Amino acid sequence: MRVILPLPEVLQRESSRALPVIRLSWRHGILLAGLLCLFTIAADAAGAAPVRSSVFAVLARWTPLLLHGFALNILISILSMAIGTALGAFLGLALISPDRPLRGAAWGVTQFFRNAPWLVLLFFMIFILPYHLHIGSFSFVLPDWSKAVIGLSLPVMANVAEIVRGGVQSIPKGQWEASESLGFTRHQQLWMIILPQAVRRMLPPWMNLYAILTTSTTLASIVGVNDVVTLAGQVLSAEGSRPDLLAPIYGYVLIMFYVYIYPIAWATRRLEHKYQVHN
Amino acid sequence: MNTKKFALLGILAGLGATVAINAARADTLQDIKTKGVLVVGVKADYPPFGSLSPSGENIGIEPDLARDLAKGLGVKVQFVPVVASNRMQFLEQGKIDVMIATMNDTPERAKVVDIVHPDYYASGYNIMVPKTLSLTSWSQLKGVPVCAIQGAFYNKEVAEKFGAETVAFTGVAEALTALRQGRCNAFVYDDTAIEGKLQDPTWKDYDMPLQSQDAQPWGIAVRLGDTSLADYISKSIISWDKTGLILSLETKYGIKHAAFAVQMHNKYK
Repeated sequence: MRVILPLPEVLQRESSRALPVIRLSWRHGILLAGLLCLFTIAADAAGAAPVRSSVFAVLARWTPLLLHGFALNILISILSMAIGTALGAFLGLALISPDRPLRGAAWGVTQFFRNAPWLVLLFFMIFILPYHLHIGSFSFVLPDWSKAVIGLSLPVMANVAEIVRGGVQSIPKGQWEASESLGFTRHQQLWMIILPQAVRRMLPPWMNLYAILTTSTTLASIVGVNDVVTLAGQVLSAEGSRPDLLAPIYGYVLIMFYVYIYPIAWATRRLEHKYQVHN
Repeated sequence: MNTKKFALLGILAGLGATVAINAARADTLQDIKTKGVLVVGVKADYPPFGSLSPSGENIGIEPDLARDLAKGLGVKVQFVPVVASNRMQFLEQGKIDVMIATMNDTPERAKVVDIVHPDYYASGYNIMVPKTLSLTSWSQLKGVPVCAIQGAFYNKEVAEKFGAETVAFTGVAEALTALRQGRCNAFVYDDTAIEGKLQDPTWKDYDMPLQSQDAQPWGIAVRLGDTSLADYISKSIISWDKTGLILSLETKYGIKHAAFAVQMHNKYK
């Protein structure tokens, strides 16, 4: 006999069956590397003229330059994450503040930067901030990549704020009530009882955000930062704009990102598993 | 608690505020000499005029011209890679002092930046099409999808004058791939560059059947009002034409002499 389940349970079952969660695994890396090899071999076969160097030789020749560009992507991602996290932590605490105007203002800022397209924020920063900044008698140069850092740290800030708010609110109400009855002040409750538990839960989404941010640093190539994608385009031109190189070179950049992000994704999964909440 | 609240409000307010600081503009030529560095915007994706070497060095005709400018001032040269869509902003922002980036000298651009005269080079534009597409006149491009490079001045002309539907790409490789895949029937680009491509056996099924459109002069640009720098560059260009530097650079990088370069050499020699 068929058991008729209540609707929410049916939906839950359906969704867990219909939409499997795809996790980044090492198999995807093998698949990518295999595809790249296939592309390069196909490209080599197509352009058999003896004057041209093989695609592998081209990739090898330009690897130092491309890695140099990739290092800039990593630098941008680390700095944006650091700034975004510092600001976002404050903003997240403001989101759960008992003070209404402060909470409202923080909510507005969070919503604005969370929902603005990243590229639009980047454009804004690149064209609004002056190249030479004069503060008093000091004058210093703001290179484009530093503006990209500022532009990217804004959405990171808003997302971190939401992670902080979510993390704090995920702690059962009983914890607040119990600590209050033990005579802790709100400040003490937050810092001694709630946050130590919440931070563990915030870690996996925070690392996830970092992975997303790292891939998004390539947006900076659109606003003229000399990152790995810009360099990849310049490498293509230097090699005479051969169409057969298009897939191998961009594929190579893809693999660089994969190699960097995969360990982060793996560690995130481990942490999620470790801190899983069993109700 | 109160100080913390104020600190938070301060951060929020600071985020909303935008900094607008106007730099008092000094004499750029003097600045360059004081700093000892001439910052030049060049192409890094446009061989043989400007590209990168595997060690990341800027090479090509335009970086060589920039090096000559810096040598004359007794300063070091620093390159900033630019593309058509950002080169004028970079100059206005002060990110670069001089722009030598295959830019056509047009009246609209001369309103935004100071284009130094005489112009240093010239090229026309043309289209590269598969041989199967027999074209006899530019007017046949009406309604035809044409691949182009973002920011090239002739994109607008091809669209408005001949009614082509331009599809713009960031790089030449991307545009050529689209041409090969048939996403467009023609690729509009500088005629000298297309000639170079057609020598490559990869493109043996393609040709350039139409007459090049009028050669447009290329200009070196500085910020509006940088007259002393513009004067210096103007004198340098004349001396390049006199000594035939541009012709010898064309030979160095393996391209044919442009008619304009020969004509200027004859005029000033």
